[in-house]
Amino acid sequence: MARGYTYFEAVEKHAGLLGILIAIMVSIGGLAEITPLFMEAHKVKPADGVKPYDPLRLAGKDIYVREGCYLCHSQMIRALRAETQRYGHYSIASESVYDRPFQWGSKRTGPDLARVGGKYSDEWQLLHLTTPRAVAPDSNMPGYPWLAQAQLDPDEITQKLRVLRLLGDPYTDADIAAAADAVKGRTEMQALIAYLQGLGIANEPQAAATATPAEGATP
Amino acid sequence: MNTFWSAWIMFLVVLNLSITLFLFVWGMRVKIPTLPDGTSGHVWAHGVLREGVRKLPLWWVVMSASMFAIGFTYLALYPGFGSFKGLLGWTAHDELARDTASNEVVLSDLMQRFSLYSVEQLSHDSSATHMGARLFGDDCAACHGRQARGNALLGAPDLTDGDWLYGGDGKAIMASILDGRHGSMPAFGASFGEPGVTNLANYVLSLSGAAHDAAKAASGKPLFTVCAACHGVEGKGNPALGAPNLTDQIWLYGGDIATIEETIRKGRGGVMPAWRARLGENDARLIAAWVYAQSHASAEH
Repeated sequence: MARGYTYFEAVEKHAGLLGILIAIMVSIGGLAEITPLFMEAHKVKPADGVKPYDPLRLAGKDIYVREGCYLCHSQMIRALRAETQRYGHYSIASESVYDRPFQWGSKRTGPDLARVGGKYSDEWQLLHLTTPRAVAPDSNMPGYPWLAQAQLDPDEITQKLRVLRLLGDPYTDADIAAAADAVKGRTEMQALIAYLQGLGIANEPQAAATATPAEGATP
Repeated sequence: MNTFWSAWIMFLVVLNLSITLFLFVWGMRVKIPTLPDGTSGHVWAHGVLREGVRKLPLWWVVMSASMFAIGFTYLALYPGFGSFKGLLGWTAHDELARDTASNEVVLSDLMQRFSLYSVEQLSHDSSATHMGARLFGDDCAACHGRQARGNALLGAPDLTDGDWLYGGDGKAIMASILDGRHGSMPAFGASFGEPGVTNLANYVLSLSGAAHDAAKAASGKPLFTVCAACHGVEGKGNPALGAPNLTDQIWLYGGDIATIEETIRKGRGGVMPAWRARLGENDARLIAAWVYAQSHASAEH
């Protein structure tokens, strides 16, 4: 067995070789855990009611990414009782097929946003994004007042829709032709609010519903 | 997961475990040549440090062996070895369903009991209002504030002051929570003009006895006939429309002249979202009970 020892000696005395062998062993773990899911990911089909983003919400999604909202907010409700009770049904992959990149995440400094659409009014979202502490005194979220001044670029959104169609999102020619008008004159703030109000299981914008005052009102 | 990827994972898991297990066994058995001084001959720092030859420490052997044992047990019991589902048949979604069901058992007993009482009665039940307070904190405090004192920037009403836009009995509070409310004060800036807006704002101030310019208020008074359609001739409001009482000291958006002018000029459309889908009636009733308790607690003081 004395010869066997020389292999140990070689590994022990050559840090480079040791490093390479460690990398190989760790890669086996990665190949087993990551590759299958990575290769199967494109087979995920959109859930019922999940449609590609309309132009305004698409612009909002890119602002969400640009401003780094994902650094503090996840969009993944885990399959745990306390989570589903607070936030609703756990997140499923088929809800996020049109998110490039997806925004699941696991870092929560603020609350999860996966189903925040319609939870608050548009006015609340505007005030909260401009001056967070005006509605949540303990919040440490920064304000984003400049978004209300920044106009969206109609040419850019047309280009984005074209690229997304190349990647396989089912936008029609009519969708692309109408995209520029849909964002013309809108601010980045409006786009971000539209995006946030659309986050939810139906993946459709949900305006805060209104009521008929008659019911339950005392004359 | 298809057969190829399942086989791929199984192959890699077996490969990895074989290599590590082989190294573990071989590492304990391999002979290390020893020099006459009892060291392996490896030296560092110009001979100051020399490597002795000892057996692997027992704690290390035991620890490694138990890691293997844990690993094999895990792969046998839980999903992990390709498409093999594990002997326990465990899934995260089943566990969630079990947890939710056992929680439902506890909750449904409580909810059953709560459903026998009205919001007004529940407001005296501390277990109901305690749950209501927690739900309020998560869902309602964003606009109405932790203490339910409202937020003038949003026009979210103070819920503790005993003054109600749409009525303050349990039924009306439930309707507000479940189906939401949509304020609809139209903009009058264009039809009244700037002097008209200022005059009318002074008249509105005079209704609650606040400091105002009497001359401007007098010329603003005729314009109020338009406002009376919702706020009433005396300006006392109309809960059927959610039109606020203008004769009290309570202001949704603020009672200074500039804010009142802004309200008249641009109108207001405060939105209370509908919570039926998100909360359901049981949770809404608990929140209503807590809110009812708050408004009545402060009314007594």
